Amino acid sequence: MADEFIPSPEFLARAQRIQDAFELRQPDRIPLIMGFGYFLADYGGITRQELHDNWEKSQEILEKATLQFQPDTAFGAWGTPEQSKALGDRMTKWPGYRLGPQASFQFDEHEFMKAEDYDALLHDPSDYAIRTYLPRAFSELEGLALLPNLGMSLYGYYSLGNTLSLLAPPVIAAFEALKKAAEVTAVFTGQQVESAMRMAALGFPGPSFLVGALIEAPFDFMSDTLRGMRGIMLDMLRIPDKLLAAEDMVLKTQVDYAISFCRATGFKNAFIPLHRGSDGFMSLAQFEKFYWPQLKSMILQLVEAGITPTMYYEGVWTERLKYLKELPKGKTAGLFQDTDIFEVKEAVGDTLCIMGGMPIPLLKNGTPEAIRQHTERVCEEVGKDGGFIMTSSVLELEGISPENLQAWADATHEFGVY
Amino acid sequence: MSQELIDAITEMREDDVVAITNQLLDQGVAPTDILMSCKQAMDVIGKRFEEGDAFIPELILAGEMMTSVTDILKPRMAEEATSDKLGKIVIGTVQGDIHDIAKDIVAFMLDLNGFDVTDLGVDVPPEKFVQTVQETGATIVGLSGFLTLAFDPMKDTVTAFKAAGLDDVKIMIGGGQIDENIRQYTGADAYGRDAMAAVDLAKGWV
Repeated sequence: MADEFIPSPEFLARAQRIQDAFELRQPDRIPLIMGFGYFLADYGGITRQELHDNWEKSQEILEKATLQFQPDTAFGAWGTPEQSKALGDRMTKWPGYRLGPQASFQFDEHEFMKAEDYDALLHDPSDYAIRTYLPRAFSELEGLALLPNLGMSLYGYYSLGNTLSLLAPPVIAAFEALKKAAEVTAVFTGQQVESAMRMAALGFPGPSFLVGALIEAPFDFMSDTLRGMRGIMLDMLRIPDKLLAAEDMVLKTQVDYAISFCRATGFKNAFIPLHRGSDGFMSLAQFEKFYWPQLKSMILQLVEAGITPTMYYEGVWTERLKYLKELPKGKTAGLFQDTDIFEVKEAVGDTLCIMGGMPIPLLKNGTPEAIRQHTERVCEEVGKDGGFIMTSSVLELEGISPENLQAWADATHEFGVY
Repeated sequence: MSQELIDAITEMREDDVVAITNQLLDQGVAPTDILMSCKQAMDVIGKRFEEGDAFIPELILAGEMMTSVTDILKPRMAEEATSDKLGKIVIGTVQGDIHDIAKDIVAFMLDLNGFDVTDLGVDVPPEKFVQTVQETGATIVGLSGFLTLAFDPMKDTVTAFKAAGLDDVKIMIGGGQIDENIRQYTGADAYGRDAMAAVDLAKGWV
């Protein structure tokens, strides 16, 4: 941009409000973050597929919604299907890619890594990823399976004969697909930057907690990306030592990645959506062995490196709130889905910045009056003394009526003043 | 009844389960008796799950062990042992949603508790639910959904049953975000927060 961005007083006030809440201070009022998601498609009268495909249009709708509801930060649908299309992604489904135009983004979990693959993964995770995992998870990368073992195959002059494998047509096709993915990622990134600048010009800072390294708890990475839910649950009982060894490797790799990503980009945040740690999946004894120590170590290392991690505590964490008290005070944020938000405040209100407070089912089916009353109580009890950001329980507002969103936003503005 | 087999299953010793099953067969124990021991063991695991002493890993491994045992027994059994079922249930994840984990656990627990469960899988259109109920004569339907996007297909499915004149069919819903608000919105008869709630609801309806 040729002109230098001069932030408006509104932009500065909103950014300060969010920053204060993150650092457990009491801002001038409770910040409100709205993740509109596919709500924007209905609001703007276009399909979900078009919301992804037509950036200019979806940006206009985002701006219109943001100006109407006046949150402190807003964002639209998550991600882009373009990389998935380029690579023949088998682990996601998008409107217009493996789903109809009005469907919503979903993960499609598979057992891409077999139980017998642990030794190969632990021996050389990069080789395993490129020659085994990627060809299974992405149809356009199947050619990578034809490459020679990567460990030593291109180490200096003696191994240059191995370059021959790069000429195999399926290998060339795989590299072409990767190039295409890089190109669409460049386009998408450019759009994100432009969107951030346009929102800033309107006085709205971007969702800084989401803009940074996107990583997973080691257990969740093993479950979501590699073994699938069924596989990982069996591994806990059948081959616990291998699973723990793999988690240690993933922990180190993800922390290294997050720190170098933040150094390279200047971002200071990491977003960590949590899946299988929720109450109900495993016992507390299993949680203490397979989930929490690795996650806690990841969080502490990130904090040590000056990065603020925001965990999305998906599901219910009631029985696990006591563990969150072990986290360093004022250094992390937690978005809570279905854990009782008042209990969360009681248990960890002085430890971490709490995000959440508005259950999606209430927004979907509640009357504006019921939404207003709930918002008032949340503002008074959870907002007490600061350290709280109002968001919906899921950062996706599809299917919610504009009237109910308005009731929620208005009530937050009214009752959120300190 | 073989206490040794029951213990092996409840203690998650899957290699022993296979060995003991083969041993019992060699000793001339009838396959139906072995299945009785399995049922006993699964009741213990189901009880532990209800009481919060067993979780998903144990449930999935127990399911694996049952598959191993029935694979061994099948060739030796003249015909499938039929036992009296409590009632028929059709279950599935609603249209547009492909999440199956919670639905599978509910189906498993319903089966374990004596129901005849027809599992339609994921992304199931309303007509498919209606058609299957008509074919099987099921009196209970379980609709699962994880996404916010599942609320409307749930509502559509409930409406489809009414439109087909199947007002007597009881419909329960469940999934990550389901609560009383969503039960009202969809018009379902009840909702459940977990697999045991589904079992309790179903038992109350037969």
